[in-house]
Amino acid sequence: MFPFIYEFQWTPTHMIFLGTFFSVVIVIVATLSLALVRVYTVFRKRHHEAIQWEADFEDLPAAARVCRHQISGEVTARTCHEEFDCRSCAVHPTFLAKRAPALAPAGTGESMFGFVMPLDRYYHRGHTWVKYEGDGVYAIGMDDFGSRMIGAPDAVELPGVGTPLTANGNGWLLKKGRASLRILSPIDGVVIGTGKAADAWVLKVRGGEPARETRHLLRGEEVRPWVMRELERLQLAVAPAGIGMSLADGGELVPDMWKEAPQVDWDGVWGEMFLQA
Amino acid sequence: MVSCAVENNVAPAERKASERTGVTWLRVYPVSNGEPFATHDMVYIPMTCQQCGEHTPCVSVCPQNAVELDPATGIVAQIPQRCLGCRYCMTACPYHARYFNWWDPQWPKGTEVLLNPDVAPRMRGVAEKCNFCHGRLHTARTKAAAEGKRDIAPGDYIPACAESCPARAIVFGDLADESSEVSRLSRSNEAFQFLPKLGTAPKLFYTSSKEWVRNMAGKVPTT
Amino acid sequence: MDRQFIPRGLQRSTLSQFIAWLLPWALMLGIGLYATYLCLAEGLHHTNMDNRFAFGLWIYLDLTIIALGAGAFFTGFLLYILRREELKAVINSAVVLGLICYSGAVAVLMVDVGQPLRAWFTFWHPNTHSMLTEVTFCLTIYLTVLLIEYVPVVLKNRRLRQVPRFLVFEFELHKVMPVFAGIGTFLSFFHQGSLGGLYGVLQGRPFAYREVLGIWPSTFYLFIISAAAAGPSFVLLTTWLVQRLTGKQLVKREVLSFLGKVSGSLLIVYVLLKAIDTLYWINHTAPDGGAPAYTFYASQSFGLWILFTEIVLLGLAPAAVLLSRKLRERTGALVGAAFLACCGIMLNRFVMTIQTLALPTLPFDAFMSYVPSWQEVATFLAVVAYGVLLYSLSFRYLNLFPQERDIRQ
Repeated sequence: MFPFIYEFQWTPTHMIFLGTFFSVVIVIVATLSLALVRVYTVFRKRHHEAIQWEADFEDLPAAARVCRHQISGEVTARTCHEEFDCRSCAVHPTFLAKRAPALAPAGTGESMFGFVMPLDRYYHRGHTWVKYEGDGVYAIGMDDFGSRMIGAPDAVELPGVGTPLTANGNGWLLKKGRASLRILSPIDGVVIGTGKAADAWVLKVRGGEPARETRHLLRGEEVRPWVMRELERLQLAVAPAGIGMSLADGGELVPDMWKEAPQVDWDGVWGEMFLQA
Repeated sequence: MVSCAVENNVAPAERKASERTGVTWLRVYPVSNGEPFATHDMVYIPMTCQQCGEHTPCVSVCPQNAVELDPATGIVAQIPQRCLGCRYCMTACPYHARYFNWWDPQWPKGTEVLLNPDVAPRMRGVAEKCNFCHGRLHTARTKAAAEGKRDIAPGDYIPACAESCPARAIVFGDLADESSEVSRLSRSNEAFQFLPKLGTAPKLFYTSSKEWVRNMAGKVPTT
Repeated sequence: MDRQFIPRGLQRSTLSQFIAWLLPWALMLGIGLYATYLCLAEGLHHTNMDNRFAFGLWIYLDLTIIALGAGAFFTGFLLYILRREELKAVINSAVVLGLICYSGAVAVLMVDVGQPLRAWFTFWHPNTHSMLTEVTFCLTIYLTVLLIEYVPVVLKNRRLRQVPRFLVFEFELHKVMPVFAGIGTFLSFFHQGSLGGLYGVLQGRPFAYREVLGIWPSTFYLFIISAAAAGPSFVLLTTWLVQRLTGKQLVKREVLSFLGKVSGSLLIVYVLLKAIDTLYWINHTAPDGGAPAYTFYASQSFGLWILFTEIVLLGLAPAAVLLSRKLRERTGALVGAAFLACCGIMLNRFVMTIQTLALPTLPFDAFMSYVPSWQEVATFLAVVAYGVLLYSLSFRYLNLFPQERDIRQ
């Protein structure tokens, strides 16, 4: 194998054979090293949350990756290929040109299927809402749908002031029972305030211009069809446990579903509904 | 067969060894012509490593070069310390001249005195075969070197089988030397080789006055 | 109890049911490990191999599972190099199967050789003319590649992926996966071929010896094509089997059909080339070695029926079924044909290993027979048990079938 081994001769066959062998080994080592270097770079540039979201998005079921324009009926069938980042979507502007939904004035607390979903704010598909308060400051909280699914959490872990947030990255952590739920951050920004128990909001964040920052969030007339669809998804997610929830009842959703139906794999259902793989 | 085993430190066969798992570098086969009573004839054929020529089946297949064809002597030598025990060479050899150590070689207490100090015993799990009593070749070479000569004296080097055969059925010598007895015998009309069409070019020649034996040697068997 | 490790949205049996399923296989593995210990501690006389049958059940097993495990490299090639995206549905499963097959083969090889601790000698003193050297080099690297391909599947486990480092590493590995798929294909080409070349170069065994095309005997190329044909069939077969055993649909029907079509196409090419090769061997190579070809089929146990079975019944017939779109629609025909195709390849490996050694070479030889000992069979079954255990664990805790979740909804 090496020139200094007794009797070794550099014949052409040896050169081709060992040359190929070592080339392949080098390529493998180099590729692995490249991957490791890239991992290091990702962490250094703090892109890891974006990558985490990209990887998680890929593993969501097809039903969870439906484009917002399919939900609002503008197109019959479309799956999102941009990880819900409408800012980089080439097709989104063409939909906006035809119909641009907008926020409604404050106070319109629409009741949709038993949920309170005010239309004066934006909604993230991970069930958080965003309200722009002017001057680059946003308030973030969890919407009614999400709150009713989880009920009262056993513990809440909020990011500290000054923590940078990535859209679709880590927002805050909720603990309930044995489950530990990661709530996704709806926007990019830096945390400037954390909410107390009495506050309606959970985080105050300093971000960029609303036009850009909230482009990927749902608003106005998109919200109702979305809530209906989420309800369908929830029903499908809990169906295997044999609960038999039905929309046709017309009844209101109970405040703490976890307590009412302990046989459901809530960790799995929450993961599905809060967009975790 | 016995002198070969004694010379080369072949361990006594294990109790469970069969004729297919025992180690016999030299093996004598009784071969009959298959005829019924009146014309029935049989011979004894000593089979050993045929020391094939340039296209040795075993040298080319060993994955770690544990078999070598020595160009000077023409002997196909096995390096037991390098052998992995994959047995590929045994699959390749058409003469069944290679044997594997299926057991740990063990000598009963007291029989270690019979061991030949010039030959290394092999370990479990390696292949071995006849190497024309390499130990004796080394002894002859050492003697020649001590006497200041380059070549060994022909009479100094003779394998155990040729030396011990009472019927002088095995003749050993320098095939390249045209005046030697082996060379003369190999060129006689009665000489033949086994499986000549396989292209192994063995250095072992057999002679027989019986035509049926000579005819049989080249044929692949029909079962 | 271990639900947090089971992928989200998937339904798996309870932990006690799972352990109950694992126990008999673990027992089988244990018995096999004991047999292995006997062989390693006391010598290979525990097998029924001997100086005439130097290769036995284990070598046959190695050849077979490497041929069937070719599904890993070929599926990877079709997905990452030829961009057939429908195979995303089975690539993870194929990788696990490949890992099982190759690691099992290497494990058995370590028991089979007389001095396993000397295995590194092949790297230190390589004989570049020997097919076995090539096999050793290739298998070692390829096993590493398979491990590298398995790591991302493991890292995407529900709990493990929550560690950001793991998920990002998996993401980056996935980006460079085509490189590994390409290397895997390149290596597989050589070692599948070299395993065929093992027998093709045996000039001392006219039954196995084949003429040289380029630098390798024809068996080199035939083994590659037959392995590429067997691989997709084996993936198809195992997917169907797992679907039956678990009572779930794991892939869309078209994926199985596609695998069947690929396998059928390669199989028909293989049958054609094998027929040409056999005819050439009958008319030229065998007589040149000193015997007409029919003499090799003269015994009862290995008569001409074996050749007919291999090429027609287990080659041409399943190929015809797999190539017919109508028949592929019927699950029974599809799976049956895939099974027969795998059997055909298994028979081919059997013929090359066992029949070659059974046939006499010296004029006064007799036809040899060989029956494996219980230790050999136990070790063989241990590999099967190991495969089932590893696959079961992977199926339960890893996302082997990405389409399962969508199908469930």
